[in-house]
Amino acid sequence: MLQISNLYKSYGKFQAVNNLTLHIPKGDLFGFVGPNGAGKTTTIRMVCGLMLPNSGHIAINGIDALARQREIRRQIGYVPDFFGVYDNLKVREYMDFYGSMYRMNSREICRISDDLLDLVNLSDKKETFVDTLSRGMKQRLCVARALIHNPALLVLDEPSSGLDPRARVEMKELLQNLRSMGKTIVISSHILSELSEMCNSIGIMNRGSLVAAGRIEDVMEGVFGSNQLVITLDEGRETALRIVSEYAGVKLDSAGEHEIRLTHNMTRPQIARMVGEMIGGGVVVTGFHKQEGDLETLFMRVTGNGQ
Amino acid sequence: MYLNPIVKKDIKVQSRSMRICWGIFAYELILALVFFMAMSIIQGNSRYSSGNIYSAMVWLYPVLGVTQLIILGLVVPVKTASSISGEKERQTFDIMMTTSMSAFSVIMGKVMTAIVQGMFFVVASMPVMALSFIIGGMSWAYLFWFLGIALLVSLFSASIGILCSSLCKRSISAVIMSYVFYLAFFLGTAIPPVVMGVVAANMSYTLGSTPQVLEMYGDNILLFLTLNPAVYLTEFFAWVMAGESLVNNMSLISTQGVQVRGPVRLLTTGYWWLICSTILFVGVSFLFLWLASRRIDPIRGHGRSAGRQGRKGR
Repeated sequence: MLQISNLYKSYGKFQAVNNLTLHIPKGDLFGFVGPNGAGKTTTIRMVCGLMLPNSGHIAINGIDALARQREIRRQIGYVPDFFGVYDNLKVREYMDFYGSMYRMNSREICRISDDLLDLVNLSDKKETFVDTLSRGMKQRLCVARALIHNPALLVLDEPSSGLDPRARVEMKELLQNLRSMGKTIVISSHILSELSEMCNSIGIMNRGSLVAAGRIEDVMEGVFGSNQLVITLDEGRETALRIVSEYAGVKLDSAGEHEIRLTHNMTRPQIARMVGEMIGGGVVVTGFHKQEGDLETLFMRVTGNGQ
Repeated sequence: MYLNPIVKKDIKVQSRSMRICWGIFAYELILALVFFMAMSIIQGNSRYSSGNIYSAMVWLYPVLGVTQLIILGLVVPVKTASSISGEKERQTFDIMMTTSMSAFSVIMGKVMTAIVQGMFFVVASMPVMALSFIIGGMSWAYLFWFLGIALLVSLFSASIGILCSSLCKRSISAVIMSYVFYLAFFLGTAIPPVVMGVVAANMSYTLGSTPQVLEMYGDNILLFLTLNPAVYLTEFFAWVMAGESLVNNMSLISTQGVQVRGPVRLLTTGYWWLICSTILFVGVSFLFLWLASRRIDPIRGHGRSAGRQGRKGR
């Protein structure tokens, strides 16, 4: 869906985006994370045709975004981080205005905007003036506006900034709904917990470079290692430790009273055999699971604790 | 019929605001004051002449016409100067630039809105303006001529405003820049003929008024004035009121009554000056609109220059 290759952008001597290469498949909800000044917004603006890169290539659905800008605009729906509204314009007229900017006829606009306002829970606000809506409603309206021409790619820059918790939840639900409808969504956000719940893939940028990207599980695995195992037990700690030491390629990370953490390079059957041996040896194993990392830890680790 | 969505939206939004009502009220008030002042002068003059006061009413046409054109020239640039920078201040500009509308369509939308609003004012003043036709006995054709001139003044003023708006981030800077630009345009097209006129006068004094010297330094200097709005309007009203070309008279004065060859001679015959001047004003207006659209297009304007800088840097 979105293919970015060797993208560079500088502001004077400051390199905002440095050799960015990224591929986002169709139907993904991709989270773009990074500290302030990492180059997320610059990248998003280049993807949306609001800025020209110094060099590199952007393609959406196989169409060269830089060479065929007019065509690409029909493929993208853009929701900026800050946006204003027009005074004295009603919700329906707002949708009508943007629909006609895509040269849609009024009947088509009317039908689609009704559906979209339903989707974003604003169907009862059609005759309300836009400037009287709450921030959360305006944000949802902006998403509806970005979808009026049925774009293949929806790009949201910090959509949750300035929203209250309820509005954030509503926004999250809306984006998940859109994903289930098959839309490809790129979202940049600082709220990592929210992204980890919503997105199926992420890209972490730091100082203009992409330091990690891919499916969340794959990125986690790459950073934390997939071979971390946590075994919880009630009795037989010593026996368990002895069995662990007998297996080659297993490194004990920590051994608490009721929890053993280890790093290994065993296969699944080997893990099952080792746990089976523990149970057979009289260890009361209450559970075992793969160590999962969280996005905050991952983010801090790949961005060097923000340094 | 396709109507530019920006025009449709802007007219709708601004019609809901009280500002438009107050604007038309102020416009009509100024015209009424000018009308009463002109009437009192006409009446005052008629006391000492045997002329009919009604025939003097034709002078309402240039007086009200010039007043309206001055107001349009002052108001329209303000409207357009705050249009693009206003979108940027309101943070709606980026969204607009990601839609299917081209930068030129966005510019045209803003300019057309300003022209339509200017025409609202002009049409609202028609009853006052019509007095010089009904009572003064002027030809009705001049009313439509005036509408055409008002349209041209609006287009030219709007194009200056929109160019400044595309160059500035803040509306207030854009408005100030528009007036400075306007003034520079007036002076820039008026000063060279004046300076060269002085040179020509000196040359004539020292070398004698031969046709060659006059052709070189004499009336050709007037060509600069084809782009001077004040000269254009004076020429128009001179034709309407006196049936003669002001520029032709100026040409004869500058060449001391000697008819010379060259483009000015052609332009000073008949309506050619007005026709050429109109074409030039329309051309310059579209040049400004094109420059403004280049400026706001993120890919063609800033983008291209930034791209060049970046490539040089690496």
